[in-house]
Formats: sequence, C-alpha cells, structure tokens
Amino acid sequence: MKFMTALSLTLVVFVFGAAAAWAQGAGPTDPQIAAIVVTANQVDIDAGKLAKSKAHAPQVKEFAQRMITDHSGVNKSATELVQKLHVTPEPSSTSESLQKGGDENIAKLKTLSGAAFDKAYIDHEVAYHEAVLNALDKTLIPSAQNAELKALLVKVRPAFVAHLDMAKQIQGELSKSGA
Amino acid sequence: MPSVVGLTLRGWRRWLWPAALLLSSGDIAAADAKHPAQAAVHTVIIENMQFNPGVLQVHHGERIVWVNKDLFPHTVTATSHAFDSGSIAANSSWTYVASKAGEYAYGCTFHPTMKGVIKVQ
Repeated sequence: MKFMTALSLTLVVFVFGAAAAWAQGAGPTDPQIAAIVVTANQVDIDAGKLAKSKAHAPQVKEFAQRMITDHSGVNKSATELVQKLHVTPEPSSTSESLQKGGDENIAKLKTLSGAAFDKAYIDHEVAYHEAVLNALDKTLIPSAQNAELKALLVKVRPAFVAHLDMAKQIQGELSKSGA
Repeated sequence: MPSVVGLTLRGWRRWLWPAALLLSSGDIAAADAKHPAQAAVHTVIIENMQFNPGVLQVHHGERIVWVNKDLFPHTVTATSHAFDSGSIAANSSWTYVASKAGEYAYGCTFHPTMKGVIKVQ
C-alpha cells in the first residue's frame, strides 16, 4: 500500500506537475518533448528487462518482453526523427521526474519476488500507461510544434492504449488467482 | 555523361523488351488454363494497432499481403492455426495465399486486442 501511494504520487507529479509547470506559458518545447518521449520509453524498457528475469507468471514475463520490444521500436523511431530534425533532446522537470519515478520503481521491484513482484510490476504498468496517455493527450500532442514530431506522438498513442488494456487484463487475472 | 547512361539503358531495353514479352505471353498461356491471368493481390495494412481492413473477402488462390506500418513487430495468426506469420518486423510484410475456402478469424499473438477476419470464397 505504501508502495502504491509512492508510485501514484510520482505519476501524479509527472502528469499534473507538468501541466502546472506549463500552465502559465506555452507547453514544453520540441527538444523537451523529445527528451520526455525517450525517457518515458526507456524507463518502461528498463522495468521490462527486470520483470523479464524476475517475474513469476508466464503472462507477466510475456508482457515484459512485449514492453521491451515495442518501446524499443518507438524509441528507435523517435531517435531517428530527432536526428533527422537536428533536435537535441533537452531535459525538463518532467523528463527528470519520469526518470526518478522509473528509478524508484526499479529499486522497489528489486526488493520483491514471486506473486508480490508480479502484482507490483503490473500495477505500476497500468498506472504508468495511464499517466503517459494523459500526458500525450493533455500536454505533449497539443504542444508539439514540428509536424513530424506531432505525427510520431499520434502514431504511438494506440500502442499505449493497447498496452494499458493488456496490463489491465493481466491485473484482473492476477487478482483472480489470489496474487 | 547522362547521355551515355541513357544510351546504355536504351540499349538494354532493346534486349529486355522481347524477353519481357516472351515471359508475359508464357504467363498468360499458363494462366488461361485454370486461373485468371492476374490473381488479385489484397493488402491489409497493420497500423495503429489495427488490421485495415478488419474484414477482408477474397477468392481462393488469391494473395493477401499484410504490411506492418507500426514501429514494432506484429503477427498474423489464425485462431484455428490455419496460418501463422510469426513475427513481422516493422516496415516488413508477409504474404499468404488463401488456398482453402472458409472464414478465418485471426489476431496478433503479441497484442491480443488486435483482431481481423479473412473470408475466403
């Protein structure tokens, strides 16, 4: 419960903190959006790598592999686009809080094992994908200036929706099996 | 320099045209027997975590090409296991010849939310 509270707080800070930080002026710049996208994908790849080796249930392991593959594909395209556009990703409070949240998640997951690990990992995946979708819709897509960067954000959105559905499905299965 | 290239290309074309004609007339002769001269090729685009069109009607013997325009791999896997593409990488495609009549529900084994149907007449 303590873990969930800390986790939710991090994600709440990510979404609403970002919105508040940009509420008065314009939204994040394209270089800041680029850094947010790359960081958001990378923290989920890192969590996936840990879960692939530590998860207990087969469907959780499979999900972890899918996160590694899909988010790596998105980051490859994001990196290629950023190079093509000559945009240098620029850290912001949002990308930093994402990284911090990712690091804390991994530190916490490392202390868990078995069914408790599976539940904590999947719970975080649900909250994470919800938070990123929220950020995409409310901040990132509306703020992106470059048409190709905006198009990439729009293109990756359905993957986050599908991942969220998949994570919720597994969350339901785990709770039924008493995990 | 470009004129030299042009000449060379033209020279090649002179040789290639009769060969191409021979090939295509052979194809038509062979195709006349049982199948239409050009069996239709259908394309299903995989993009935004969807198969488009979601439902596709084809005649048996026709080709279906699935083109993956997403940024990561997908599969085209029949629920009945009548066909299974295995992993189709981003920007790659997979071709299947619909050989047997029937209705085939399929999906992506990587992303269970993705579903499609092939109706083979």
